[in-house]
Amino acid sequence: MQVTTENKNGSLVIVTEGRVDGSNAPEFQEALKDAIKEGGEKVILDFEHLSYISSAGLRVILMFAKQLRRENIAFAACSLIASVKDIFAISGFDKIIPIHASQKEAMAALG
Amino acid sequence: MPSLKIKTEVAELGRIFAAVDELGSQNNWPDDFIFRINLVVEEVAMNCIKYCHMEGVSDFEITMDPQDDVLTIEIIDAGRPFDPLMDAPEADTDSDIEDRAIGGLGIHLVRTMTDDMRYRREADQNHLTLIMHKPS
Repeated sequence: MQVTTENKNGSLVIVTEGRVDGSNAPEFQEALKDAIKEGGEKVILDFEHLSYISSAGLRVILMFAKQLRRENIAFAACSLIASVKDIFAISGFDKIIPIHASQKEAMAALG
Repeated sequence: MPSLKIKTEVAELGRIFAAVDELGSQNNWPDDFIFRINLVVEEVAMNCIKYCHMEGVSDFEITMDPQDDVLTIEIIDAGRPFDPLMDAPEADTDSDIEDRAIGGLGIHLVRTMTDDMRYRREADQNHLTLIMHKPS
């Protein structure tokens, strides 16, 4: 699992690559925390290269989304592979995290 | 029929994933089905690793039996009686983000992704049987 960040048109894009499971979820949590240290008004979670996630990783995403909401940071997720998208839907995450097909669409939606 | 003896340590997840992936490629299962098996097995294994470890149980057993397009997974542990069908809390998949409860998603995912789930307590062990049909 690897997390990288990039500033694009005023949005902080957080790219997660690889697998997030019960063995590395704590590292994922730290990486997300580090990613927003510099702040920002808009965050896009790009999951195009997230190949696997289980409830341990979903828990981290939920806590992160709650934090962004508390800090009034607009956020969205994009580019989920089909299997991950299913997991988000079953978990009801699609009701609390706007999901877009591409980074571009997410950026347009966040304005 | 692969049967794995797993230590109640998180580091064992890698071995479990490797066994699932191998079984999946041997049977030519689609990636999404292999993804779901990994997820189901991880969720129940993580429960065992967490609770059995706290109770001083050092290992448990996972058996995966593929027959045609039906996979039967059995998890046997010597932890305290725990029936995930009855004893696990309902997951919150509806509340607004501020109120959304954290936790319970693991068993919810397992319930949703398996076609059948059976639990029995036998010889002081928990036996959890999970049935998954390959998508047609």
